[in-house]
Amino acid sequence: MTEVFVNMGEIRVLRSTGVLTTVGLGSCVGVSFYDPITKVGALAHVFLAESRANSDRDALPGKYADTAIPALIDLAVKAGASRERLVAKIAGGAHLFSNITPEHLSVGHRNVKAVIEQLNIYDIPIIGKDVAGKRGRKMKLYVDTGVVIVTIIGEEPKQI
Amino acid sequence: MNNKLDFLQELGNIGASHATTALSQMLQDTKLELTVPKARMLSFAEAANFIASREEIVVCIYTRMIDMIKGDMAFIMPFSCAVTLANHLTGDDREQLNEIGESALLEVGNIMLGSYITALSLLSDTKIKPTVPGIVIDMNGAIWQSILAGAGVTEAVTILDTKFSTAELELSGHLIFIPDNAVFEALYQKVSSCWKPEETL
Repeated sequence: MTEVFVNMGEIRVLRSTGVLTTVGLGSCVGVSFYDPITKVGALAHVFLAESRANSDRDALPGKYADTAIPALIDLAVKAGASRERLVAKIAGGAHLFSNITPEHLSVGHRNVKAVIEQLNIYDIPIIGKDVAGKRGRKMKLYVDTGVVIVTIIGEEPKQI
Repeated sequence: MNNKLDFLQELGNIGASHATTALSQMLQDTKLELTVPKARMLSFAEAANFIASREEIVVCIYTRMIDMIKGDMAFIMPFSCAVTLANHLTGDDREQLNEIGESALLEVGNIMLGSYITALSLLSDTKIKPTVPGIVIDMNGAIWQSILAGAGVTEAVTILDTKFSTAELELSGHLIFIPDNAVFEALYQKVSSCWKPEETL
């Protein structure tokens, strides 16, 4: 089975078969899109909440929540997904360094908030989520079924 | 630009030497091998790929510099090495870290990062204020990603990485210093007047 890795700021798309994997989600949020009929899956590894309009213009669209969600829709539709059938699952947004900032000001917290806001704006239902906490995550989207498995070190992998 | 990277490399060299000397003293003068730190200017994509073994479990002691001089500093070692070090410090013989081992590691990291920062402060004649350090045990990739995001790294970033190891204790680790770009300029201005690259080494 093909396994495609999605690095920080990237978006990858697969159709029918294979797995999209992102390893090392700390404060970042993994956002997966899936169309169950055409079996198109897409996964973004979102780094920060808001894009910078003046600097970082050449940034990958997957890097910021506000550019990642429209880019995910665009790429999934181009790969054959129906815009109306797309459903999202999200994981990540942890707060590893609690010595630095309180939870509600952490990058992870802001990332999760921004991703959810964007998904609401674009009217994409969130059907699974495993976010916040203090631990890093690995996220896998199985494109043949739409199943997402999230792994935290020292815990049993869970399906969302 | 090379000149600036050389300058930074020299700063890192002195800082990391102080840090590892402190570690060596805590380990009853165990000899530590230290690589000359590499100062590298990386694009965002390169920084994202800086860590090879993303799923490896590591122990990281991390602090952020917040006052005049801003930046991020971390002491990262593989989990097995952290256990070895904790056992050595606490006189234990465990396969996992317990609370006492973790707090010993945090203290060692605190002393090492503190030595590094003190050296930077003395060299630049600037007060540097670090936050209280914290310890995290997690996937290498998640830790690295959180450091970059917390530092607000969105474009080019300068990274100073020093590797150290010792055969006596099967111990190895990294000291990573990510200076804020603006601070780097200020430091360079301040120190470069009395620093000439051709005279070093």
